[in-house]
Amino acid sequence: MDFMIISLLVYLLGTVTLIWPKKAELGAHYFGMLCSVVASGLVVFSTLRYLLTTDNNWLIDLAWGSYTLQADGWSGAFLLLTGVAGVIISLYAIDYGKGYIGSRIRALSGLWNLFLLSIVLVLISGDAFTFIISWEVMALVSFMLVYHESEKKKTVSAAYQYMVMTHIGTAAIMVAFYLVASTAESFSFVDMARNNLTGYMKDAAFLFAFAGFALKSGLMPLHIWLPNAHPAAPSHVSALMSGVMLKVAVYGFGRFAFQFIGMDVFWYGLLVMLLGLISAFLGVLYAVMEVDMKRILAYSSVENMGIIFAAFGCGMVLYSMGMPMLSVVAFTAVLVHAVSHSFMKGLLFMSAGCVMHATGSKNIEHMGGLARKMPYTALFTLIGSMALASMPFTSGLVGEWLTLQSYITLAQQAGSPEMRLLVVFAFILLGLTGATALGCFVRMYGIAFLGRARTHIVEKAHEMPFFMLLGLGMEAFLIVFVGLMPDYLVNLMQRVVSGTGIAPMGNPIGIIWGGSGHYALYSPALIFIVFVLIGVFMVAALYRSSTFVTKDVTWNCGTVPTSRQQYSATGFSKPLRRAFDGILNPKRRTTYLRKEHAYFGRKLHYELSIPDLFNDKLYKPIQQMMINSSSSFHKIQEGSVSIYIGYTMVAMIVVLIWGVLL
Amino acid sequence: MDYLVVFLVLVVFLQTRVTDLKRAVICLASQSVIIAIACFVLGFSHGNDIHAVMPGVLTLIVKVIFIPGAIYRLVKKLKNEREIVSASNVNYSTMAAALFLVMGYALVERLMPGAVGRDIVASSILMIMTGLSLMVLRKRAIIQICGLITLENGIYLLGLLMTEGLPLVVELGVFLDVLIAVVVLVILTSRMRLSFMTTDTSVMKKLKG
Repeated sequence: MDFMIISLLVYLLGTVTLIWPKKAELGAHYFGMLCSVVASGLVVFSTLRYLLTTDNNWLIDLAWGSYTLQADGWSGAFLLLTGVAGVIISLYAIDYGKGYIGSRIRALSGLWNLFLLSIVLVLISGDAFTFIISWEVMALVSFMLVYHESEKKKTVSAAYQYMVMTHIGTAAIMVAFYLVASTAESFSFVDMARNNLTGYMKDAAFLFAFAGFALKSGLMPLHIWLPNAHPAAPSHVSALMSGVMLKVAVYGFGRFAFQFIGMDVFWYGLLVMLLGLISAFLGVLYAVMEVDMKRILAYSSVENMGIIFAAFGCGMVLYSMGMPMLSVVAFTAVLVHAVSHSFMKGLLFMSAGCVMHATGSKNIEHMGGLARKMPYTALFTLIGSMALASMPFTSGLVGEWLTLQSYITLAQQAGSPEMRLLVVFAFILLGLTGATALGCFVRMYGIAFLGRARTHIVEKAHEMPFFMLLGLGMEAFLIVFVGLMPDYLVNLMQRVVSGTGIAPMGNPIGIIWGGSGHYALYSPALIFIVFVLIGVFMVAALYRSSTFVTKDVTWNCGTVPTSRQQYSATGFSKPLRRAFDGILNPKRRTTYLRKEHAYFGRKLHYELSIPDLFNDKLYKPIQQMMINSSSSFHKIQEGSVSIYIGYTMVAMIVVLIWGVLL
Repeated sequence: MDYLVVFLVLVVFLQTRVTDLKRAVICLASQSVIIAIACFVLGFSHGNDIHAVMPGVLTLIVKVIFIPGAIYRLVKKLKNEREIVSASNVNYSTMAAALFLVMGYALVERLMPGAVGRDIVASSILMIMTGLSLMVLRKRAIIQICGLITLENGIYLLGLLMTEGLPLVVELGVFLDVLIAVVVLVILTSRMRLSFMTTDTSVMKKLKG
């Protein structure tokens, strides 16, 4: 029997914990997590076996009635990242989930298995029916997982917002599937590839598909649920949602773009590219303003999904310009960045979980100096933060490098000056994004882990138990491994995108890309050697007896510096807030709690809030409009039964008279 | 048959003017008696078997004895309850009934010119519309139930006339439907009396959230 089927069955077995006897809660948790680790391991194993052997068969090919399971290389790439994230995050959850003993832990581990199962099913479904059903199961299960801590009021509203938004997305996807399938006269993906959509219907199908999948992956005007839902969920759930579920949307969009709709229309790619760029920049701009650790990460997810879609759009544009070979770099960038983002975001959400576990807070303003209390967590978080800031020797740079290469390729191939200008604009946005991301994660790491403790909650912090550290460590290892030796991942993903036709981009020295006119090389190995040489040289040149450091208290005009004089998270991001005042529109409010004198003896309360641009400008008006139109309906719906019967009566008389007159 | 139509129209017009609950129930029962007689007449004109007798017997049992009986028992428990409406309201509903009668005849003329049972079709349309208008214009739950039964009677009469006898199963189903609806309504009404001390349905608006 196929390993894939076994893994599905093991996931299913894991959901048994939903009806496990209450007395053995902990047993249920261990059993559920064991099942998900084993099943995810099997997914990784069977996917790797398929991707490495590259025969043109299906990864899995099953049919049961009108339900089919079929998976090709494109599914395989996403199955790989799902499996890896599933194994690692489930290991982490073995210890993290213990915090939920007594509060529905059985449901948590059962739904966890069901969530993974539905994600895998989405990825391997071979027809629109199976896809929609698994997609919907995925949405509902993730809603229930977000809703898990339903005692908190914020969680409830976040979960409902998520549910409403995700259903709008599902509706759009269903429309897109219907439009495609109605011309193909079949719901199977293989037949749907042979549709003959043209003109407006094709545009409509594309727009619906893009809207639906962009909503699920949190692109900018539709991201509104994401920064609320991710902090509300338990940490391992948000790790999986951010690390894997958002990528499943990329998978679905790719399925539409490659297979059903095609990429030969220029503006499709342009739209995807622009929205991706805008989300990337605005996402990270909002991330750098947040003080809630998980909200920072959630907005950073928006940013990274923006980068992924920007690369995707660039590939689509290149393809529509008649250069399918050159678009390979962009689609490889999509896959590589998707995989590496799932590593880094998984790692950082897990580490946010560790910090919450240790301090009981998500607000980085209350932390500081955590690195001393939890050194391993701090080390792994540093690696993850570096990766998200796309520093060298981490996987984060590999994907971004490929994305930038794809833009350079586009600039090289652009026929018109307008297109060149657009690419320049894209470069500016991507550069701003990268720099702001660096600032964002320096801020998050520095404020939370370095410096001095800001409040007493840090004092009781402690190092994490084994399995949580194991999860963090595995992700950190993968990030560094891919960062140092990107060739394995890049070659694998390139083969997924292009088949075996093109020379491999990666070799042990680094990644080579020749599409942009000149050969470009990104070689972490060489950079590493250069770094070491410079380091050795500097130490040799500067090392003297007088270079010894003497430690002393910081001079502070005669007073002893306290922890309150450190940079605060809000203060750190002040320059950016000033620079982008027009976009962010921050609301500042200062109230005097006590003011006896103009300068002395006064107590201030300072409040700063950054309203979400789209929330205020797009969602609130829509909401207001809906409420207004509902209240106009309210006038004819008074709640009095006799009036309702009266409506029936009037309708009947009208019908009768109409019948007579005709 | 013509006499029946005359009586039927008379009873329906009477219903629009009655405000006392007991009298409304008595009106309802007498209306049902006329319907039952119409059933027998129509039944025997088509044949002599059990099927001819069945609708009439069912109408007698359910609509003449059981339903008015149940409502009557409920009415006896209600003290100081009567439909408090202005004379103009009553006049309006009588006027509406008259309009409905004209409309019914106009409909019959247009839809099936020269039909044999035009009077009875018109009167059944009158019953349907008047039942509806009773439900809309009156406030007491009991009179609204009477309106519902009137509506139901009208539909039943029309069906009987058009189809020349429904299958027995359908007929049984219809009667069971009405029976259960009325039982539920009677229970609800007595509940309402207990909770609100009145059967004025306009107080139900308070329940709206």
